Amino acid sequence: MMTTRDIIDALTRTFDLNADVLRDNQIRLKLHKKQVAPVLLYLKNQLGFIHLDHVSCVDWLEENVFELVYIVYRPQDRLTVLVKTKIDRQHPEMENMETFWPHMRTYQRELREMFGIDFPGFEAPKEFILEGWDEMPPMRRDFDTRAYVQRTYTTRPGREDAWSVREYITRRTGEKLPDFVKKYSRD
Amino acid sequence: MSETKDIRIITRPTKEQIRQAQIDFSPRCTAAGRVNDKETQKMVQYILNFARKHSLFLLAYGTGCGAIEIPATLTSRYDAERLGIRGAATPRQADVLMITGYLSTKTLKRVIRVYEQMQDPKYVVAFGSCTINGGMYFDSYNTIKALDRYIPVDVYIAGCMPRPEAVLKGFAKLQELIQNGNAGNGECYRKNLDWYRANQQKVIKNWDFPDEYNW
Amino acid sequence: MTTKRNKQTTLFIGPQHPGITGNMMVKLLVEGDTVVKAETHIGYLHRAFEKLIEQRNWLQSFTLLCRFCVPEPDPMELTYARAVEAIEGREVPPRAKYIRTIVAELARIQSFLLWYGGQAGSAGLYTLGQWTVGDRNYILDLFEDLTGARIYHMYIWPGGVRRDLPKGWADKTRRVLDYLEKRLDDYNRLLFDNAVFQKRAQGVGIIPKDKALEWGVTGPPLKGVGIGNDVRKTEPYCAYGELDFDIPVYEGGDVWARALVRRDEIKQSIRIIRQALDKMPGGNYYNRIPNPMKWRLPAGEAWVKTESVRGEIGFYVVSDGTEKPRRVHLRGAAYTHGISVLEKILPGQNIADVSFILNSLGACPPEMER
Repeated sequence: MMTTRDIIDALTRTFDLNADVLRDNQIRLKLHKKQVAPVLLYLKNQLGFIHLDHVSCVDWLEENVFELVYIVYRPQDRLTVLVKTKIDRQHPEMENMETFWPHMRTYQRELREMFGIDFPGFEAPKEFILEGWDEMPPMRRDFDTRAYVQRTYTTRPGREDAWSVREYITRRTGEKLPDFVKKYSRD
Repeated sequence: MSETKDIRIITRPTKEQIRQAQIDFSPRCTAAGRVNDKETQKMVQYILNFARKHSLFLLAYGTGCGAIEIPATLTSRYDAERLGIRGAATPRQADVLMITGYLSTKTLKRVIRVYEQMQDPKYVVAFGSCTINGGMYFDSYNTIKALDRYIPVDVYIAGCMPRPEAVLKGFAKLQELIQNGNAGNGECYRKNLDWYRANQQKVIKNWDFPDEYNW
Repeated sequence: MTTKRNKQTTLFIGPQHPGITGNMMVKLLVEGDTVVKAETHIGYLHRAFEKLIEQRNWLQSFTLLCRFCVPEPDPMELTYARAVEAIEGREVPPRAKYIRTIVAELARIQSFLLWYGGQAGSAGLYTLGQWTVGDRNYILDLFEDLTGARIYHMYIWPGGVRRDLPKGWADKTRRVLDYLEKRLDDYNRLLFDNAVFQKRAQGVGIIPKDKALEWGVTGPPLKGVGIGNDVRKTEPYCAYGELDFDIPVYEGGDVWARALVRRDEIKQSIRIIRQALDKMPGGNYYNRIPNPMKWRLPAGEAWVKTESVRGEIGFYVVSDGTEKPRRVHLRGAAYTHGISVLEKILPGQNIADVSFILNSLGACPPEMER
């Protein structure tokens, strides 16, 4: 059995990094972009974090960075490590790690399509979820989905009146409703 | 033994007889002059509509989340088969295309293709608020907002998601429309193809459909 | 002697196909009857939920969240609510924990009943689907009594649940469970004693045991290879730590083992619900949250996992201290099962078994592409 303390000790002995405990059994590492691949390999091969749980990306538009999060899990003693790194938002580029885990390929395809992050040497088909998309990658914060909708789609005009549906039906059918029902009606 | 002489010997009909019989029983061949009187035509149309409304084959294509209530509608409690509603596997065998909820633009392309493959008479039933005006996806960049701009719709069923009772009510309405001869709009789609195509091309970015409607 | 190579053909299964488990497509390269290469294509159900949630506030996102996975919406609400509570440090009253456990387990049972129909239907046994999907309505009725809706409940909120149990609901639930327990024997006789299903399921779609964890396999497929990892046991949430239940584990890793796991899991779920109803503590069911339109969460992040029917689901939630989430990212179990695992185990299988394997892996397209 290993504890969070043991993992942090083992990591700091090998790499130059800062680590803290996020919540019980969850360790958070903040790394430089170049350190991610060796740390992930070390976690997987030496420390037994063989299960890749998740890969995510957060767009910090104000700081002009993308924050990538790799979450790995060690099943024996239920330890989770969140490996975080920040990459430049103007030229987002990350090391291609598709050989580490088979589903890393899926995550990288999603990140490339939704955030426009480039993985040099990654040769999966470009289109994954979207089809024929010619705008900015849609999950970036500066992509305005409402403006895009107004530009592209035709919408049905709404109703002019603000009657509640219940009241509309009663007026149309001439149904008599007691007062306590009207109290909950909208107008 | 005296009954035997009443038995008529059935011979194979000639080709001419078969052709004549087809003219007699088909309502479309009024040009041949056999059933063009109004009463007969009306009666034949009534029988056809009656038959059509009691055998609605639904295309098994769950385009959105409303598809989760289709198994419930078709199985033992709600038992839609008593109304003649059941599943069909391929577009060419199906009568009803169900749009069960939101359509992303990627699915819209497939739906149009499926709709054009279906044989007349064909009906479209749209489920859920999201097909009517976008519903809760009003600001989503990937779903269409009003389905009847892209394919003609016969019946809308409101709700998110519609209960099996609402689905059955929607199909009852469709049957009523079929009986009155108001449902089925493949003709309308072909006639106004330019308008529909223009709308479709506006949202489908990589347009690679054949120019002519030739399914 | 050289074997004659057959011509290779590309075959599309889906998106419009009666055997597919949703709106997705599997592109196969086949040689004769055997699959040589498989490729999953998704994106037909992409609604941009994660983008839309960034435009909504913390409570409004619940209407979107439950639509992440259609057959089983409650674990999504539960996981997100737990993530929000973890960021804020909000406590949940014990009664709410028990109610949440019951709702999660009822959702599990109804989803398994739907699975019975799909798995048997893909083997050509349509009677079972009529039974199980019909009986599933009893559980949806319970949900309707409790929450007001059949499918999408939006019942689990940060700080507890939306309403208390209605009067007489516990007895009604017990009656439904008694009925279901009786019916389970019938289902299992129809499915597991059937020679067709036995012959088709055994030795098909095998996930190797030594690779399972590395491939990201979770849930029933993982228990089917002989590894009993279950978030309910390993990191107990809600009231699971106080209840007594077992994790069914079978060896083999084929469709048959996964089916056996699911058969036993329904029984365990019934057991959990009965215990939770018996032990149900009194008190408040809800810790009041502030005005939701002005509710700000402290800046922070959370990674929370839950065991759903298909496997582990997790939410990575980031708050930047405003009324709206900065990022909500779902890790669906089907994200690995339906894409990378499926692409690895399909080669060598028969074309007819593709939808069979898809059903047994529990591929759920809305969860893959959100």
